[in-house]
Amino acid sequence: MPRIAIGQYYPASSPIHSLDPRLKLICSFLFIIMLFVITSAPGYVVAAGFVALSVKISTVPFSFILRSLRAIFILLLFTVALNMFFMPGEDLVFSFGFITVYMEGIIRAAMMGSRLILLIFSSSLLTLTTPPIELTGAIEFVLTPLKKIRVPAAEIAMMMTIALRFIPTLVEEMDKIMKAQKARGADFETGGLIKKAKSLIPLLIPLFISAFRRADELAMAMEARCYRPDARRTRMKIHRMARRDFAALGVAGLFFGMILMTRML
Amino acid sequence: MSKPMIETNDLIFEYRATSFEPGSNVQPDGFTALNGVNITVEQGEFVAVLGHNGSGKSTFAKHINVLLRPSSGKVHVDGLDTADDANVWLIRQHAGMVFQNPDNQLIATIVEDDVAFGPENLCVESEQIRQRVDWALGAVDMAEAKRRPPHLLSGGQKQRIAIAGILAMRPACIVLDEPTAMLDPIGRREVMRTISRLNREDGMTIVLITHYMDEAAQADRVIVMEKGSVMMDGAPAQVFTQIERLRELGLEAPQTTEVCSGLAKLGIPIDTDILTIEEMVEAIDLSGNHGVSDLRGNFSQGKELTTPRTRSGSLGESDDELRKIDRKDGIAGLPVRSNMQGQETAIECKGLGHTYSPGTPFAKRALDNITLSVEKGSFVGLIGHTGSGKSTLIQHFNALLAPSEGTILINGRDIHADKKILRETRQNVGLVFQYPEHQLFEVTVYKDVAFGPENMGLPKDDVDARVRKALSLVNIGEEHFEKSPFELSGGQKRRVAIAGVLAMQPSILILDEPTAGLDPRGRNTILSTIKNMHDELGITVVLVSHSMEDIAKYVSKIIVMHDGTIFKQGTREEVFADAKALENIGLNAPAMSRLFQELRARGLDLPQTPFTTEDATRILYQYLKPLGD
Repeated sequence: MPRIAIGQYYPASSPIHSLDPRLKLICSFLFIIMLFVITSAPGYVVAAGFVALSVKISTVPFSFILRSLRAIFILLLFTVALNMFFMPGEDLVFSFGFITVYMEGIIRAAMMGSRLILLIFSSSLLTLTTPPIELTGAIEFVLTPLKKIRVPAAEIAMMMTIALRFIPTLVEEMDKIMKAQKARGADFETGGLIKKAKSLIPLLIPLFISAFRRADELAMAMEARCYRPDARRTRMKIHRMARRDFAALGVAGLFFGMILMTRML
Repeated sequence: MSKPMIETNDLIFEYRATSFEPGSNVQPDGFTALNGVNITVEQGEFVAVLGHNGSGKSTFAKHINVLLRPSSGKVHVDGLDTADDANVWLIRQHAGMVFQNPDNQLIATIVEDDVAFGPENLCVESEQIRQRVDWALGAVDMAEAKRRPPHLLSGGQKQRIAIAGILAMRPACIVLDEPTAMLDPIGRREVMRTISRLNREDGMTIVLITHYMDEAAQADRVIVMEKGSVMMDGAPAQVFTQIERLRELGLEAPQTTEVCSGLAKLGIPIDTDILTIEEMVEAIDLSGNHGVSDLRGNFSQGKELTTPRTRSGSLGESDDELRKIDRKDGIAGLPVRSNMQGQETAIECKGLGHTYSPGTPFAKRALDNITLSVEKGSFVGLIGHTGSGKSTLIQHFNALLAPSEGTILINGRDIHADKKILRETRQNVGLVFQYPEHQLFEVTVYKDVAFGPENMGLPKDDVDARVRKALSLVNIGEEHFEKSPFELSGGQKRRVAIAGVLAMQPSILILDEPTAGLDPRGRNTILSTIKNMHDELGITVVLVSHSMEDIAKYVSKIIVMHDGTIFKQGTREEVFADAKALENIGLNAPAMSRLFQELRARGLDLPQTPFTTEDATRILYQYLKPLGD
């Protein structure tokens, strides 16, 4: 059975990896807000510097970070093109037929592009350096204040954990069912869209049934281990901010301050 | 004595219309699963509960953990009444429960987090949880795996993590509901070793629900259930000696016990309450020893013993017993099952190799230089521990996987030569995966079986004929045709799934663990169905199994896989001759051949190695009879 990677965690032991996941989550969130605050080129330079520094420290190969762009490549292209070609301005760079490009458009396109790229880079750095399960814990922490307005933070985190736990199991199961139906002459590859969609029935029905059966058994096993969704639970792993977390927070704060200053200039 | 760990008084449980037992079939309204059960389990006892599917043993187990509550009667766990809501969480903490499917009871994505789940629910303080988790993982020998994700562990390891998860709650009793049903022999051994150590060293009360008699034999006490009632209750030696009674209840005694009682019936003075191979070797060695040294010379000269048939006239009453045995199962060693005339090969592999995800960091060599041939009409066994490459190999036989190098010939043709042959191969080679009932998807049994032939583009009449034939081969009557496959029992579902492959009318049938998770009755039905198909239709059968006893009983040739290569191939006699070598690669010889090897090691001069209890009884009788004269 080929191994299945969950999420896109890149295992390494860099200072970024060992940071408190809650700190990483909050900093990433703040950074994204910063990106939308930036209005000038120097701001982007500082932000890019921050990301570059983090990537460097994290020891994650740059190619991994770059790969995350693939998913939004079309969107990126579209955004850049739209800004470049349709942004009206005064400083005409060149015009050919109905295409006119102004300097303002180029600057705008460059800024929008950088914003998107930095956004993706920073968030993928978060998922690359944080195991999904720790991220789940961090999300639970961030959502905790919302408990007051009846957001079931702990239950949401539990559901995410279980989903993460069962993704590889279900992927394996799907592979097995697919092979079994192929052995009975099922054809998943050829035919038009409708035929292909139809051919998925023998795959999806058993998969759903199996998922429900698993859910049922898992619920029973959780109950047998005294799980009560509404009751208080303790945690084995309690994160405490360490010295390096405060140091990291200081560095991030410095960068964020610089970004804000570029806006005031 | 202190109060009993578990005590039930006239426990009755009826399933209501909407309730059903997850993982099994829907129970009809008012179905009485438990009918007046009185069981008392003392502190520190190791009790095994046996019974075929539907006997109520799982329902009983769920009452101990308050997953179910009595319709009438009482259940007390550690003196606490399960009917009282205030006791529920305390009882669940006192009596932890481990389930059958190792995948469906682990919650977290990291082992140690999963073990911590129980104590976290009990609101134990952080540092204490850490201590408990480390202790529990140590107790099941999984300390090194604590930071690993569970989905990369083997079944046996996952099940031990599940046990650790219960241990971390500090229970006084562990209830295990068929914990080894889905495991391979190595996993089973690991889990059983863990359970008995917890019982012996930590005084943990153990209730083990199982289908495996050899596991039950390790308990202090065996309870046999049938139709919701306790039928037998006693020490393993007491219960297992009642062989006829067990058979009536759909169970089997350990093979050694069966042979001993067979011998005793034939007049050999031997204890009938023998359970293990070691005990039996001792008993035979003792009963034989007074004469072995003097008589052995006579045996080797007098050839009459190895050709018993010539003597049959001179034997008395007990010989009738003997002849009955002979008739029942043919003669040992004669390949009555294999069709040796057909020299054509059905499957042939030459230098077959397979690498998963080549060229990536995940590349994994699964098969290496496999060269083998399977003759037409033969019944071949494929054995090897989990991860040895068996599954990868059989998926090559019907072109679900393409070889990285080497060739595969099916009925003499290279299946990857062109597309047309590939298509034909899928029909020609029927592949039944593990737990095939998980692939059922249609509304009715009939439609599900028709899926294969319909994919072949056959006309309606042909499809109909094939579906009917396939279903009759697996003994599914017409009354079930229009039922949903999910209404059937576990064994029936599996037979329907097998029919779904048979309806393609393959000339070669490959079955991956067709008996996994079934009770003895279900196992026997499936295996005899397969054997009938082989005998009557002349289909070539490749049987993948972890049960060496099944392999030994049915196949004529065995292929042993290890680490992606062929470790050994040959007849049963050749392959099982060296039990030690098999043990080293995580396998085992069948109980009977192990017994005979042990006896030979003690200096007994036994001519043949039997594979069934009948043959073993006959050979031992011939050996021991003259010694007693």
